Amino acid sequence: MISNSTIVAQATPPGKGGIGIVRLSGPAVPEIAKALVGQLPKPRFATYTQFTDKDDQTIDQGLVIYFPGPASFTGEDVLELQGHGGPFVMTMLIERCLQLGARLARPGEFSERAFLNDKMDLSQAEAIADLIDSASSAAAKSAVRSLQGEFSKRIHTLVEQVTRLRMFVEAAIDFPEEEIDFLSDERVEAMLKSIIEEFNDLLKGAVQGSMLREGVSLVLVGRPNAGKSSLLNNLTGKELSIVTDIPGTTRDVIDDYLHLDGLPLRLIDTAGLRETHDQIEQEGVRRALAEISKADHLILIIDCEAHQGHLRTTLDALSAEVPLEIPTTIVLNKIDLADTWETELQPLPKNWIPLSAKTGQGVDVLRAHLKEALGYSANQEGSFIARTRHVHALRQANDAVLTGRARLLDQNAGELLAEELKICQQALGEITGTVTSDELLGRIFSSFCIGK
Amino acid sequence: MQADFDVIVVGGGHAGTEAALAAARSGARTLLITQNIETLGQMSCNPAIGGIGKSHLVKEIDALGGVMALAADYAGIHFRILNGRKGPAVRATRAQADRQRYKAFVRGALENQQNLSIFQQSVDDLIVEGDTVTGIVTDMGLRFSAATVVLTVGTFLGGLIHVGMDKRQGGRAGDAAANRLADRLREMPFNVDRLKTGTPPRIDGKTVDFTDLEEQPGDEPRPVMSYLSTIDVHPQQVSCFITHTNPVTHELIRAGLDRSPLYTGEIDGVGPRYCPSIEDKVVRFAEKNSHQIFIEPEGLGTTELYPNGISTSLPFDVQVALVRSIKGFENAHITRPGYAIEYDYFEPRDLKSTLETRHLKGLYFAGQINGTTGYEEAAAQGLIAGLNAARQARGESGWCPGRNEAYIGVLIDDLITMGTKEPYRIFTSRAEYRLILRQDNADRRLTPMGRELGLVDEVRWAKFNRKQDAITDWAGRMTSTFVQRGDSRIEQLLGQDMAREYSLIDLLRRPDVAIGALLTAADMDAPAVEVQEQIEIDCKYEGYIARQQGEIDRVQAQHNLAIPDDIDYLAIHGLSNEVSQKLQQVRPATIGQAGRISGITPAAISLLLIYLKKQQAAGMVRQTKQNPNAATKKLA
Repeated sequence: MISNSTIVAQATPPGKGGIGIVRLSGPAVPEIAKALVGQLPKPRFATYTQFTDKDDQTIDQGLVIYFPGPASFTGEDVLELQGHGGPFVMTMLIERCLQLGARLARPGEFSERAFLNDKMDLSQAEAIADLIDSASSAAAKSAVRSLQGEFSKRIHTLVEQVTRLRMFVEAAIDFPEEEIDFLSDERVEAMLKSIIEEFNDLLKGAVQGSMLREGVSLVLVGRPNAGKSSLLNNLTGKELSIVTDIPGTTRDVIDDYLHLDGLPLRLIDTAGLRETHDQIEQEGVRRALAEISKADHLILIIDCEAHQGHLRTTLDALSAEVPLEIPTTIVLNKIDLADTWETELQPLPKNWIPLSAKTGQGVDVLRAHLKEALGYSANQEGSFIARTRHVHALRQANDAVLTGRARLLDQNAGELLAEELKICQQALGEITGTVTSDELLGRIFSSFCIGK
Repeated sequence: MQADFDVIVVGGGHAGTEAALAAARSGARTLLITQNIETLGQMSCNPAIGGIGKSHLVKEIDALGGVMALAADYAGIHFRILNGRKGPAVRATRAQADRQRYKAFVRGALENQQNLSIFQQSVDDLIVEGDTVTGIVTDMGLRFSAATVVLTVGTFLGGLIHVGMDKRQGGRAGDAAANRLADRLREMPFNVDRLKTGTPPRIDGKTVDFTDLEEQPGDEPRPVMSYLSTIDVHPQQVSCFITHTNPVTHELIRAGLDRSPLYTGEIDGVGPRYCPSIEDKVVRFAEKNSHQIFIEPEGLGTTELYPNGISTSLPFDVQVALVRSIKGFENAHITRPGYAIEYDYFEPRDLKSTLETRHLKGLYFAGQINGTTGYEEAAAQGLIAGLNAARQARGESGWCPGRNEAYIGVLIDDLITMGTKEPYRIFTSRAEYRLILRQDNADRRLTPMGRELGLVDEVRWAKFNRKQDAITDWAGRMTSTFVQRGDSRIEQLLGQDMAREYSLIDLLRRPDVAIGALLTAADMDAPAVEVQEQIEIDCKYEGYIARQQGEIDRVQAQHNLAIPDDIDYLAIHGLSNEVSQKLQQVRPATIGQAGRISGITPAAISLLLIYLKKQQAAGMVRQTKQNPNAATKKLA
């Protein structure tokens, strides 16, 4: 099956690497190649070139390789762009490809195309199905995470505003005899104005990253005073949590962003998990549990000094409180103050890391371990891509609203405004899920008395 | 033994007549069997054809050689263009029709159609052999055999009429329900449910005072419905009038709700949200103290009026009181009470896109039996079902236009993919390619295919080709005709000086330049209005049409990927239970249709594709063993 859409994705792991590769597949590849590097590169040769943006400014320099189908990974025309591997450059390159008509690949889509084009053995069908399945749920999780908080609230408000406006516009078109011709009343214009302002605001925020947060989420879990806050401070190099000797000091969820060699991480410190009657602290524990359930990776911290002699039972009890399916690293803290841990816990599994958050001993081992555990999975869609997807969708939606307003104001073309608003809603649907025409009609019937 | 007929159509309403005509036009020996020949082509509800979305359907039926548009022109006593001030894509035509003239025209068309016989009898049963329908049995016990049967029985299956607390069986006021057939069908493996619709009381125009009512004359220039018609076929034209309900009316309605079958639980069927009864409007939109009523004439030879907007099943005494509380109706005499009717319909997701039922081969359903409402929706399905019944009888493959080709395609795809919970009506917002599916270009979209299918006769085909040729010719002339800088008449038209020379087509792309004025300013004579219209619309929508066409091309690839009938969705690796069950229920015919089922994600489609690829490869191995030369259709 030769597909008729062209897809793009980063083929190398997200994060800062020496080289990053962006891969494209589909029928528009030759055209995109010409626009991006000035000419169609010689097939199967690595050509050193400049990647340029729409104003002919250089985005990056690197190698381009063109694999005409069917002799390519997917069986379609494929282009590989090898640039400098920073997240910023990679995003610019991907965004440029989107501008030129590609769309972001769905999780596992390159492999899917390869399979459908006889480029993979039939026995791999189940494996590819599993990959699509797991990658899709991972992507869904990233999308949810990237959409948390303020951004999510505002995006939903915006979708609601657009749906409401469409309701007026479509009602005016489908029910012209119902005394509801909104297209000629000022309400539509006012609604358009406020939607456009909201888009401006949101786009500014999304591009600057102040609202769309990126990164794998890493949650610290442990009994009060196990040293979670100290470890967080040590990893991020900032004084974030209040560190005292009184158990339960961290009463709220505290988070920060850190780049582990370019791999974006969201590090979350939770209030200790323990039974408590203090209301504020109970709230802290509740939030901690909520964060744990959304985490990509957990770090369980145990105080080797306080639990000397019964480290293993303490660890078992602690592990029982967190979900089994989330990958976990166990940090044995305060080894500078304890001496029985080595005999109690031998042999140490690979994901058990002894360290001292206070002195810094062993923290580098933890970093290296985390990088390996979190860093690379080529088929997982990280939050980084989720963010690119959202920004791209917002831009498309915004363009459509602007064009729609111009059509209405300059040409009085309500049906073209309706068309642009539909495009706008489809784009936003990439972020929040679609609104079907039947749902829209339902809104119309419940808001206006239709019925000649 | 040869069957008595190729196709038997049961029912003579809007679906039945188009079905019988299409089958016979395409060459099948056809029998139309109806309870009552006098009611062929009867308009059971309001005396109007067309409206938003609906006139799109009428013109598509016309483009495929159907009778509805011609009948509407012959019977139309009042024509309007809706959305006249909006763009051409959403413009629509509506005609008030003289019921008698409409019926007479349809009956004439049926009687004069070659290959078509008409017979008056009630149908009580289907003849079934194995899983195939082979004929029908009438209430006299007469048996007719046929290769295929089309059921277009409207609201007659288990029809139950309500006026207040009084209820009685019937298919329409004055006509018996088809209960024996309904019982038989309920014994067959169909999924059946109940819907409800309603109609207002009719009023004698002699008793209405029009003095203070708002008059609504027809539009000038007057449109026509059919591509073959001119306004010369129209009879005398009359006006409609508008009045309104008021707080007194609403008070009377509220006081009668304790005897409303809708509000006392008597009616189980679901009514349409967009065509609520007046009691529904008053309850659901309590804050509105007035609702609009269109007073539509029933015909030239009658004083009866149809007050559109007060459909009701309230008791008769309340109907009289509420009608007389309305301005102009103070002394009105009701000629027929309003009523609600409940009827059986069958789950349309059990249909193929040809409208053949999945459960019984050779059996087709069209019209309200599939959960739709409206003459136009019924006629559109009738045409497709009749055509496909005839094609199946001849051993030919089925045809149904796609969502990108016709509102008929949108209608049928919606029904078989999403099903419906309320009487389904077409709206332009249901069509994703609204700028392409216009009422002005239905002939350009469908007539060539209709010709190929044997539905379009010589007269229509010749007229269509003349128009097409003129469009090509004039578009070419306007592309090759240039106007120079300083051309004062053109610059006056544009309201600005030109920076260089332009072709007329370039200038026509500007939003505020009209083709008529442009041709005049360029000193060219002008082609027929419908030719100018097409060139102008093609030009003004150019960018949007190109974009929608791009989207269509993308979707089309998935549309060409057929899913085998016998696929077992539960066996597909990785699909969630919920998704498998949805697919199992709808049994989509193509990957494209599967993608439109609500809740089916792109990831689910990927899994389905991978499964099909694997199955197909395994199948290829098997087939190769049997017959090394067998051509296998690739999944590509």
